[in-house]
Amino acid sequence: MAAPRHHHLALAVALALLVVTAAAADEGGPRGRRVLVLVDDLAVRSSHSAFFASLQGRGFDLDFRLADDPKLSLHRYGQYLYDGLVLFAPSTPRFGGSVDQNSILEFIDAGHDMILAADSSASDLIRGIATECGVDFDEDPEAMVIDHINYAATDAEGDHTLIAGDDLIQSDVILGSKKIEAPVLFRGIGHAVNPSNSLVLKVLSASPSAYSANPKSKLASPPSLTGSAISLVSVMQARNNARVLISGSLDLFSNRFLKSGVQKAGSKIRHEKAGNEQFVTETSKWVFHERGHLKAVNVKHNKVGETNEPGMYRINDDLEYSVEIYEWSGTSWKPYVADDVQVQFYMMSPYVLKTLSTDKKGVFSTSFKVPDVYGVFQFKVEYQRLGYTGLSLSKQIPVRPYRHNEYERFITSAYPYYAASFSTMGAFFIFSFVYLYHK
Amino acid sequence: MAAAGGLPASATLLLLVIAAVAVAPLASAVRPVSDAHRSAAAELFAASPDGSFGDLETTYEAVRTFQILGVEKDKGLIGKACKFAAEKLASSSSSPAKDLFHAARISGVLKCSVDSGVYDDVATRLKAVIKDTNSLLELYYSVGGLLSIKEQGHNVVLPDADNTFHAIKALSQSDGRWRYDTNSAESSTFAAGIALEALSAVISLADSEVDSSMIAVVKNDIVKLFDTIKSYDDGTFYFDEKHVDAAEYKGPITTSASVVRGVTSFAAVASGKLNIPGEKILGLAKFFLGIGLPGSAKDCFNQIEVFVPLVLSLPSKVFSLTSKDQLKVEVTTVFGSAAPPLRVNLVQVLGSDSKVITTETKELQFDLDNNVHYLDLAPLKIDVGKYSLVFEISLQEQEHETIYATGGTNTEAIFVTGLIKVDKAEIGISDNDAGTVESVQKIDLQKDTSVSLSANHLQKLRLSFQLSTPLGKTFKPHQVFLKLKHDESKVEHLFVVPGSASQFKIDFLGLVEKFYYLSGRYDLELAVGDAAMENSFLRALGHIELDLPEAPEKAPKPPAQAVDPFSKFGPKKEISHIFRSPEKRPPKELSFAFTGLTLLPIVGFLIGLMRLGVNLKNFPSLPAPAAFASLFHAGIGAVLLLYVLFWIKLDLFTTLKYLSFLGVFLVFVGHRALSYLSSTSAKQKTA
Repeated sequence: MAAPRHHHLALAVALALLVVTAAAADEGGPRGRRVLVLVDDLAVRSSHSAFFASLQGRGFDLDFRLADDPKLSLHRYGQYLYDGLVLFAPSTPRFGGSVDQNSILEFIDAGHDMILAADSSASDLIRGIATECGVDFDEDPEAMVIDHINYAATDAEGDHTLIAGDDLIQSDVILGSKKIEAPVLFRGIGHAVNPSNSLVLKVLSASPSAYSANPKSKLASPPSLTGSAISLVSVMQARNNARVLISGSLDLFSNRFLKSGVQKAGSKIRHEKAGNEQFVTETSKWVFHERGHLKAVNVKHNKVGETNEPGMYRINDDLEYSVEIYEWSGTSWKPYVADDVQVQFYMMSPYVLKTLSTDKKGVFSTSFKVPDVYGVFQFKVEYQRLGYTGLSLSKQIPVRPYRHNEYERFITSAYPYYAASFSTMGAFFIFSFVYLYHK
Repeated sequence: MAAAGGLPASATLLLLVIAAVAVAPLASAVRPVSDAHRSAAAELFAASPDGSFGDLETTYEAVRTFQILGVEKDKGLIGKACKFAAEKLASSSSSPAKDLFHAARISGVLKCSVDSGVYDDVATRLKAVIKDTNSLLELYYSVGGLLSIKEQGHNVVLPDADNTFHAIKALSQSDGRWRYDTNSAESSTFAAGIALEALSAVISLADSEVDSSMIAVVKNDIVKLFDTIKSYDDGTFYFDEKHVDAAEYKGPITTSASVVRGVTSFAAVASGKLNIPGEKILGLAKFFLGIGLPGSAKDCFNQIEVFVPLVLSLPSKVFSLTSKDQLKVEVTTVFGSAAPPLRVNLVQVLGSDSKVITTETKELQFDLDNNVHYLDLAPLKIDVGKYSLVFEISLQEQEHETIYATGGTNTEAIFVTGLIKVDKAEIGISDNDAGTVESVQKIDLQKDTSVSLSANHLQKLRLSFQLSTPLGKTFKPHQVFLKLKHDESKVEHLFVVPGSASQFKIDFLGLVEKFYYLSGRYDLELAVGDAAMENSFLRALGHIELDLPEAPEKAPKPPAQAVDPFSKFGPKKEISHIFRSPEKRPPKELSFAFTGLTLLPIVGFLIGLMRLGVNLKNFPSLPAPAAFASLFHAGIGAVLLLYVLFWIKLDLFTTLKYLSFLGVFLVFVGHRALSYLSSTSAKQKTA
């Protein structure tokens, strides 16, 4: 007797567990918290500890490894061991263990995030990974970004390679809503963003007077990178929403730059602290999906005045469409507020494209009339905004024409025809009497 | 540590370390400990809101770092830390050796008053631990604790020092590293540092002289340990574990610090000289100073405890001729306090290509108020550029030379900057063959200008200007770019000045293909800059209208230019569907009029019937045929009515359904009614 009861109990427990895990997954963020930090020298762990501490403070579980650690591995038994990668190993010629350039790229292709920092010692391996992400570092191994006008006056070296960069991308989602007031210190190599790659964005660009060259030797030929075409820090968001940040300077993340003051040459304002701390914190929040990650739930549509979702619409029906969109804030899903979410009623091409209005609580809705064309349509939301993960929703819905009895019955202009047919019928009725019974 | 400079062996080692630090400015980033360290320390060892620093070890590291750096902490904090330590010491029998060790050291640093009775208890407890244990860490903590108590003026003697010494020595490995206890197979460099420190504590605690042959063996171990030292390319040396094991791994800073602490303390108590190569000590010092601002609290502590004083440094490596900057040199201890009286001489100035500019020795003046040595650069007659300066430090008092090392010569790389005079700027177009200049315009490069030129592909663009240094020499900056940017396609072309002339000569004939045959307006931009040039500039010069030949079919296409990322995103234009408009209908009146017209024939028909005098005499008189005839006509009427209903509300299917019933009925009654009628008419004919 006891066996079946146990069985039920076990089932109930299993069900309860299922429900609990489902709820946890629902509350959880879009990304896990395990981050692998690859360094080519463990001293980086100390010299860049403020950056790592800010990651740890936000709940990330950092695993520090030497880049040539022979036991290095990104996945085991087909499962990835990490959710993110911080690649602070610019000079490493090859990774240890089973990791190589392709496995890093597969890691990103699987939807994981990466922060890559290079410097003037960047190896071919690091350059190769950057190239695959749409970023081409200056090929001259001796080159550094030099700017004789926008350099940091606090630079003790005097060769103007310590750049005070303030040409930041205007994007609250990548850099946070608080403006970065102080210039960002940068010492390293520049890169160009591939113009045919629409997924890469320049986050920190060099000024028009900058150029990328070897500061120690005279220039023989024009440098390959000059002016604001030089990107100092770029980000890439892949189509699978994997995010990559590429910086030409490892020092940008260092405690020294995070804590030091900065004064731009020719400027009277001295900032007590460089913008680096805010910059690396905010960009790392973006890279690890603590900001700008959207999710859409509860896609609904119905006829005006009804609540049930029909299986089909008739042409010229009035319908209502609504979707709920939330943004991950690092700790919870917050309603997303924007005025540019659009829905398309689409068959081969959009027949209707309408901007959704929001109630500021996450619900976006609109209503429109079904076009007088029948066929299989789709409700499509293609939301691609700078810095946000893309939303791509589509829901198929057929649209039928009028049924035979749904057309208009009493058309005034057809009255002559009606009158003619009915009078003929009446005449026939009378005539049938006359014809049969007249004598 | 530096203050303990008495014994010959320690003095040798210390001098080496001091020398290392003094020469350390060779490595570019090395600067003495500064306020940056102090604020970093204060930030890293931030006390929690209740005023404690966490556990005993962290508290010790915090108070020791603050002591060394001279960071003032308020009395309340010190009191709390003292109380914290005293509590641990009082309950000596239950606390592990580690806690007693740290508590004793906290009391030592903060000079807390602790009862001698308490210390007796602690000492007894620690001695008991020494007897029982064979773990290196336990031995280190207990011996260290005893030493700390002794240093606070309490009389502690380790009775069987030789045994303890042997117990620690027994854990050493052949390569100079140590194991943590007798059971562990792994040896560690970090443990070696700990062991050396423990050994030196044993020697200081011993009531009688420790066996000198054993000391010699340990010295040999130290030499072996230094053979395992690792190095960076720039001559920096550090200690690290051979096997990087995640759990026990301490990192290079902690490991190096442990070894250096161990070796220095051992050298301080052991007699005789340690045979360690000088460049390794120097490299270690560089390693610690090169870290710059230490990150974690632990690294900060390690970096500071192994520091040894005296550094020569330049507050700034950039000297402006315009503001007549003086060459300033600071000679300080690593903690930024003043060095003993000394002389600094500038012995040599080298140019950027190692060319000797001057070898005249100049003595730097000493400014007591600011504690800097200074020299006017003007009499040296050096121009703008990059130079290497060679300094020599000599101490003024003989007895200081046993404590401070001058480090011989120091080389510093500096930039001398100045305002560069820009003049004789001219821009013009010349014909290709004759070189006769058609139009030359003088331009002022102090501000943006807007010349407008036009040229075809057979002509040349000429731009010349002259740059001269404050001393009147021609100046060749690192960056001299002329940029031509096509207005329409945004394609940019960059030119640098060839050779040493400050003149651009752009021959468009050879550049037609490179310009992708793009005619039209090009904007001109000139950028001149150099590290030694204070007035680096980027000027818009105006534009040039180029008339290039038509592109042949196979000409290369201009490369794609980056598009503004914001244009790729953003909402699309709304689309609304245009519905088919309903067909136009005639006015109602017209429809009604025609309805009336279509009803006219039936009216005519009825009038005609009246006129004819219609009768129904042929209607059957017998009841059965009359019923069938009535039903037949009722059926016809019903069908016609069904048609009306079909118009008004019924759909086709219901109508057809009713019609099928009515049809069958109609056929039946129609057949009976009509056959009756035909039979009567046939009878009439025959009759």
